[in-house]
Amino acid sequence: MALIELSDINKTYNNGQPLHVLKGINLQIQRGEFVSIMGASGSGKSTLLNILGILDNYDTGTYTLDGKLIKNLTEKQSADYRNRMIGFIFQSFNLIGFKTALENVELPLYYQGVPRKKRQELAMEYLEKLGLTPWASHFPNEMSGGQKQRVAIARALITHPQIILADEPTGALDSKTSVEVMQLLKRLNQEEGITIIVVTHESGVANETDKIIHIKDGIIGQIEENTRHDAWGGPIIK
Amino acid sequence: MRELLHEILSSLRNNKLRTVLTGFAVSWGIFLLIALLGAGNGLMNSFMGNMEDYISQSVTVEGWRTSKPYAGYKEGRRIYLDQKDVQYTQGSEWRGVIENVSVSTPSTSATLSLSGNTVDGGLRGVMPDFQEQDKLKLAAGRFINPQDVIQKRKVVVISTAQAKELKPGEPEDLVGTWISIGQISYLVVGVYHTDERSFRRTVPIPYSTYKGIYDSSDKIEGITFNLKGVNTQQDHKAFEENYGGAIRRMHSIAPDDSRGIWIRNGYTDNMQMNTAGRMIRTAMWILGLLTLVSGIVGVSNIMLITVKERTHEFGIRKAIGAKPRNILSLIIAESIVITSIFGYVGMFLGMLACQVMDKTIGQNSVDLGMEKIQMLVNPSVGLDVAVEATLVLILAGTLAGIIPAWKAARVKPIEALRAE
Repeated sequence: MALIELSDINKTYNNGQPLHVLKGINLQIQRGEFVSIMGASGSGKSTLLNILGILDNYDTGTYTLDGKLIKNLTEKQSADYRNRMIGFIFQSFNLIGFKTALENVELPLYYQGVPRKKRQELAMEYLEKLGLTPWASHFPNEMSGGQKQRVAIARALITHPQIILADEPTGALDSKTSVEVMQLLKRLNQEEGITIIVVTHESGVANETDKIIHIKDGIIGQIEENTRHDAWGGPIIK
Repeated sequence: MRELLHEILSSLRNNKLRTVLTGFAVSWGIFLLIALLGAGNGLMNSFMGNMEDYISQSVTVEGWRTSKPYAGYKEGRRIYLDQKDVQYTQGSEWRGVIENVSVSTPSTSATLSLSGNTVDGGLRGVMPDFQEQDKLKLAAGRFINPQDVIQKRKVVVISTAQAKELKPGEPEDLVGTWISIGQISYLVVGVYHTDERSFRRTVPIPYSTYKGIYDSSDKIEGITFNLKGVNTQQDHKAFEENYGGAIRRMHSIAPDDSRGIWIRNGYTDNMQMNTAGRMIRTAMWILGLLTLVSGIVGVSNIMLITVKERTHEFGIRKAIGAKPRNILSLIIAESIVITSIFGYVGMFLGMLACQVMDKTIGQNSVDLGMEKIQMLVNPSVGLDVAVEATLVLILAGTLAGIIPAWKAARVKPIEALRAE
């Protein structure tokens, strides 16, 4: 059974003029896949990601995540699912500015009720894994974009989620750092077997993933198996 | 709980400006409330305290000068009360209403001396009730007692100021000493308290002693008595008309001449005082509550802004697993911590301000010519009032935080994340 199963997902925004954003999305993503969702702005890719991340709801259709139907959840349930099953990586990092790197990374565990000492130990472990040990007590505004994104990745990983959802993870980074971040995600996928879904409009970024799902005007278009990227291995074209 | 507290403290520590602004609104509200109530209480104490020197729970009747010609007499006639008035007052007509009738003589100036030291005073023959009726507070010894009056003893009570002039040292040193007043020696049995703001120089001696030595006439300066069963303002007015009318008839004073006989009614004075006091107190409370309201508005305002400003942060928290309850308790606990700490600071500063007022304005007195009046006496607020006010503000601040907190907790994470 697929980790993620979407069938006939529809979503309409009703801000004055009704806007039909997702027009029947059918999609399956297996455990351990490294997928990108690619499309132009306004194609509905971000809406799709928000639905996958239980940040937003959908109108009709079904979404099952790890065998659980994600529909009509209470706020409490969806918070719990987000906390335990999904790790987010955002374009603008979304770190809490008045918290140190360490505090940011341990925050998801706080909402799980993990004791402080244990939280800090685990957070330090993940910071070390991402080479951020010297930055543990630094605030986000004291770090570079790449470092901030690595803190965000550590925060996403700390709860051992089923999937990592990355929304334009390289959008705010220079090309060199972009490569580093994508390499990091690739390594996590290969070495730890974490399912990763990247949303992007850059073909260079999409090229780093194993499967590229094209989305256009709210409909899934071509699904491209991308096996060449390891051999190709060139720099990401910005 | 400890986790939440730690979370809050880190948030407060890292948002100093916001914390200080919210805190300032709270502290300022409480500070103003307490300083205001303190000053109000000080004013009340001063007002009541200064009045206490004059007002007693008794009625005093004195002879005065007429203002109207009547029954063949010209206006401006000096009226003296006499033994007939005393008998009438004590008589059967007023039995059960008038009690404890006592009399006093006019005061005559005299020189007190002791081994070469002299001081002036107003010698006055009084009854034992005079101490209570004139509100004399004893510093040492005793006041004139009934035995002194019956035996016409040559005993005297002097003021602390006079005692100091006669013999430097403690007032009790003079008790039991014989001093000369004119040609006659008197035994000092008591010393009553006067302070520098009082010009009281009455030298009380037994009524009978005075009458025996200085004035054998029937002249009586005042008749003082207590009333029983006269309660309302109307009752007092009726009593004054009936009793005063009778006295006026006995002295052939025009019935509508209020100047011939002066009835000083301590009971109604007290009633008016109490009414005035209640009004001041009510006004103070209204002002205080308005101040509190402004404090609450300040806190609510900042809570509203805080929640709005933090929407994005709440979005992040929700995305990584915060439940609505977590967001709600975070905001509420934060506002409780801020309002409590700064409320306490405001309370402390307010009480400090009361102390400062006491030490500065409280020490100033206004010279009214006859007597000096202290502006503020013991300006302070009861700890219970201060704590209650602080609790009200904490509660109000929290309640003010709940609505925006509830809204923030309900916002869909995706919308919160879009907010900047």
